Amino acid sequence: MSGSRRITLVILAWNHWRLTERCLETLAATDLDGAEVLVVDNGSTDETPERLARVSWIRTLRLPANLGFVRGNNAGIAAAAAGSDVVLLNNDLEFIQRDWLRRLAACAHSAPDVGVVGCRMVLPDGRLLHAGTYIMPDTSWGQQVGALERDVGQHTGTEEVEGVVFACAYLRREVLDAIGGLALDFESYFEDTDFCLRARQAGWRTLLCGGVTLVHDEHGSTADDDGALMELFQGSRAIFRRKWQHALEARYRHRLLWQSIMNFPTGYAMSCRELLRALDERGVHAVYRYVYGPKTVFPPVEPESSGDYRLNVIRGRAAPRAPEVAVVYGQGDVFARNLGRYKIGFTMLEVDGFPPEWVAQANRMNEVWVPSEFNRRAFVDCGLQRPIHVMPLGVDVRYFHPGVASYPNPAGDFVFLALFEWGERKEPSLLLRAFNDEFSAREPVRLLCKVINTDPGLCIKDEIRRLELRAAGGKVSYLFNLEFPHYQLGALYRSADAFVSVSRGEGWNMPLMEAMASGLPAIATDWGAHQEFVHDRIAYPLRVRKLVPARAKCPYYDGFRWADPDPEHLRHLLRHVYENRDESRARGQAAAREMAARWTWEAAAQRIVDRLAALGVAGGAGSPPAARAPVAARASGAA
Amino acid sequence: MTAEVPAAAATPEAAADPELRIARLSGRVAALEAALERRSRELRLLQRLLCPHDLAQWSRVAAGLSPRPRIACDPSFWEESRELTAAEVPETLEALWESSYPPRPAPR
Repeated sequence: MSGSRRITLVILAWNHWRLTERCLETLAATDLDGAEVLVVDNGSTDETPERLARVSWIRTLRLPANLGFVRGNNAGIAAAAAGSDVVLLNNDLEFIQRDWLRRLAACAHSAPDVGVVGCRMVLPDGRLLHAGTYIMPDTSWGQQVGALERDVGQHTGTEEVEGVVFACAYLRREVLDAIGGLALDFESYFEDTDFCLRARQAGWRTLLCGGVTLVHDEHGSTADDDGALMELFQGSRAIFRRKWQHALEARYRHRLLWQSIMNFPTGYAMSCRELLRALDERGVHAVYRYVYGPKTVFPPVEPESSGDYRLNVIRGRAAPRAPEVAVVYGQGDVFARNLGRYKIGFTMLEVDGFPPEWVAQANRMNEVWVPSEFNRRAFVDCGLQRPIHVMPLGVDVRYFHPGVASYPNPAGDFVFLALFEWGERKEPSLLLRAFNDEFSAREPVRLLCKVINTDPGLCIKDEIRRLELRAAGGKVSYLFNLEFPHYQLGALYRSADAFVSVSRGEGWNMPLMEAMASGLPAIATDWGAHQEFVHDRIAYPLRVRKLVPARAKCPYYDGFRWADPDPEHLRHLLRHVYENRDESRARGQAAAREMAARWTWEAAAQRIVDRLAALGVAGGAGSPPAARAPVAARASGAA
Repeated sequence: MTAEVPAAAATPEAAADPELRIARLSGRVAALEAALERRSRELRLLQRLLCPHDLAQWSRVAAGLSPRPRIACDPSFWEESRELTAAEVPETLEALWESSYPPRPAPR
């Protein structure tokens, strides 16, 4: 498992024999590979001492009184076999994987600088409880990644995290030798994050081993007295703050005002949330302000909560009076609202040009960012005279990967999935007709369309009726105007066999990227921003007959062109993917690998961090990074 | 659920004797009225106890149609709306597949 390294499992128990008994019973059914099990009885006053004495396969360390979580665990660490790695375990855990310890140990010894390894934990009702932790200096309130989400197989890979809860923590001997046990500043709470931060300072990384999941009946041993619990928590929090506040603030190397949209169900908002999260993790202290609202092209007032702790903190930060650098991430006609001394406009569009008003506002920025070469060319062609940089977007491969749960249809039909808002750009009639014509109702294949319509001028029933799809043709099902939690969408993709996107133009195409990251073979129009990440080794590019005038309700498209996808080629590709399962599956798997390797939000955020570093944007107040006056006309694909 | 009402016998004697025929027809009318009364009671009971969705389901099945799908995966079943409805992927897909491959109604 870890070479010749011995392992001691330290289980801290205080009363609640029922929990300890279940913990030991389930532990005994797993492969311990010779690891020693040491139960530290933290001064239990119930039947625990007597019952533990009857368990022959464990060693027991009886403490004279309840010394608390920290001292109790330290007693266990001190009593562990000499030179052994130590796994700290709560007694309210339940083990459901036979090889959990082998996996943890392998993860801990996967690299010389790994010091601490935690695992996924779920509640007894199946909800995810823990996939790592983080603490923001603004509040010093520890947060668990993924907490209370339904378990759909998210976070099942290995990830580097800021911290893990020590309900289960694999500690390598080298780290214990280097930094000692849990800090005695704490009685309970925050000692785990403190340990991980101390380990990091000493050069050791903390990993989440997503391949291991334990059931955690949270606070099984301390849930008796909520008042005492809170007092304990707040005391530890104050200590933690004194100890780490400065270090946590110092990890921010860049400051940024980010003006965008966050709490609406739009593509900009979704990508804004992901970018802000990833930027925060990469040391960018962002302050968020809503760029739309009354007297803008999108007047609604933004709801306050995003449902995400980190984003709510970022949104609640006080805005600087004169921000050094501000990014407006949204449509080009709100660039003028940029409040920074150094102004960056970050936008995208789905056609082969940009409206004159966008170009005019962009030319008042110090520089412009777009996610694709497709948009960079279009902006330059339309007269942009400012530096322009390609800043690709990304995908969260912790939630979109081939291991996510699937809910396949019981009949075993091959399912093509399409997600779109009904409208001219997404060209639903092309897909529906092509599919319905190509297949017959007798064939075990189905097209599943997740359709959104918020346009009061459209009746989708009537639109579909007008298509006069054949009853004897390919079967189509619809999910109409349903809004799923974003973190669950991977399960929707994984429940299909292939993905289809036949839109006329895309500014990025997030669903396509998510589907590809989830391992689906994808058919996608071979024109638009998504060409940045779609090619014929990992997907099925759909031929375009020609470019045609972009006729749609959206006024931004006036005078520009978009693609006319080839219906015959679409039929050919649908049939090809359906009939060549091995090939298409392999292409989907290759897509997943490429998305994970190249197109994560971390990679996207790193591009921004690199650009900020190049601009000389520092963590504190300083001089503007570049001349405020527009420089000579220049356009560069700096990315 | 509802008792069958016997048809009035159409014997040659009944055809020949108008009074007998009237008596038999009167008996049948009375039986039909009683059956109708029972049926009305049953329907009132169903209406009171079932939610509109279940009532619609029961009516469709009673009429020999397949039950309405648990999810409106076919345009003829959905109510056109511009509002988004919050949903969970696992339950939605379960309902979708159940609705896409419905059990066939038993032959009448």
